[in-house]
Amino acid sequence: MTGRVLVITSGKGGVGKTTTTANIGTALAKAGNKVVLIDTDLGLRNLDLLLGLENRIVYTIVDVVEERCKLKQALVKDKKNPNLCLFAAAQTRDKTAITGEQLKSICEELKEENDFIIIDCPAGIEQGFENATAGASEAIVVATPEMSAVRDADRIIGLLEAKEHIEKYNLLLNRVRPNLIKTNDMMSVEDVVEILSCELIGIIPEDTGIITSTNKGEPIVNDEKSLAGQAYHNVAKRIMGQEVEFLDIDEPQDFISKVKAFFLNLFKKEA
Amino acid sequence: MKEIFADFYNKIVDFFSKTEEKDKTKEVARNRLKLVLMQDRTNLNPRLLERLRGEMIDLLSKYVVMDKELLELNFTPEDDQLALMLSIPVIRAKNEEEIEAALKAEDEEKERLAKLAKEAEEDGDDEDDDDEEDTEGEETSEKDENQEEVNDDNSEITEASEEQPKPKKKKKKKKKRVSENETSETEENNNSEENEQQESSETPEQSENQEQENTEQEEVKEEENKSETKEEEQKEDNSNE
Repeated sequence: MTGRVLVITSGKGGVGKTTTTANIGTALAKAGNKVVLIDTDLGLRNLDLLLGLENRIVYTIVDVVEERCKLKQALVKDKKNPNLCLFAAAQTRDKTAITGEQLKSICEELKEENDFIIIDCPAGIEQGFENATAGASEAIVVATPEMSAVRDADRIIGLLEAKEHIEKYNLLLNRVRPNLIKTNDMMSVEDVVEILSCELIGIIPEDTGIITSTNKGEPIVNDEKSLAGQAYHNVAKRIMGQEVEFLDIDEPQDFISKVKAFFLNLFKKEA
Repeated sequence: MKEIFADFYNKIVDFFSKTEEKDKTKEVARNRLKLVLMQDRTNLNPRLLERLRGEMIDLLSKYVVMDKELLELNFTPEDDQLALMLSIPVIRAKNEEEIEAALKAEDEEKERLAKLAKEAEEDGDDEDDDDEEDTEGEETSEKDENQEEVNDDNSEITEASEEQPKPKKKKKKKKKRVSENETSETEENNNSEENEQQESSETPEQSENQEQENTEQEEVKEEENKSETKEEEQKEDNSNE
């Protein structure tokens, strides 16, 4: 078995890299794939929190690199899904504790027994980014429809293009707010795709459920009713090669905005 | 009573149309972002861009007479691509002899520079930089002089140059400056200067002929300008309405 190695990256912090990693990983594992999630954010690890595995970590990636334990010992199995494992980052060290080459050889080893290795990349374009992308052959660039996030995503895309081992990369647009797009207060999905000229792999709506699911330490894909969860499931399906239509993420309008829209149309006609 | 209702109606319209004003923030973000990304994607900083501009002027002035102050060089979005727009206010194209002369002058300068460089090498490393700077300064000033001389010498053949197709720059997009009253003024000034020079140097008969030719040229140029300015004039008219 030779698994695929994907890196989830963005450049800008806070756009949802870790959330995306946790959810795509969980969704892929739910679909029957063997998945390993690697947190490469040394010193600022959070993937363990999102998966609710923070109390189970014994060994980290640095322990493996410095040969204090075997690779298999450092893999933490998910509570619900035995197909899913977490390979945690060290919280007490910084990005220089491992090298890209070391991470690459870890990925090579993990590839043999897993379908997907998903790497959570730290924010920034420094050593951490270089390490995280070293072993990957595919990338998912996470951005939100905000100027700063799109700009950073563009920078990341430029850096990814320069890497020969990255065979393909896709854009995942996170925290999309349909109501704001409707009133032209937020750049639309089309705008961002046009600006970045990058193929889209998912549109995730802004969802308060993300906060509550993080509180519980349970990825939102486990919540069948959640719109963001469904969107992440679709992303996982697209990664597996299925063709899935993009989710209709229109939020139901509240009463006042409906009335306002009605009057606005009325006055437009008269004018 | 009617007024009160009208007032009330307007207030309501204002209230609802306020949301429409906000509509533009998305467009603002989009346009700002596009521009900033284009700057990010190019590695040319302003200093290099200025240098490029200077080199373009040096290069182009071999082939055309232009208004150097108004030459614009900048990156602009064009569909999905970044275009390097070079806007050249062409006063007139040079004729073959002028171009030949300019090229010859350039070659001579190159030789002279090479000589100077050799001398500088012999002088020693420390003075190297100073020498180069000095020579560069001399170079540009002499170039200008050469060009002016060239213009004076070959003013008889301006007609021929008008008829020649204007040299096109490869790879760079070139748009002629549109509707510049300044440009047409400078053209006229140029022509009148030329006329004066010709009158002084030539027999009266010849100069008369030249004058006629020149006025013809001016007419042609004005026509060109008109056709170019038409669009803008129309736009202005529309906006005035």
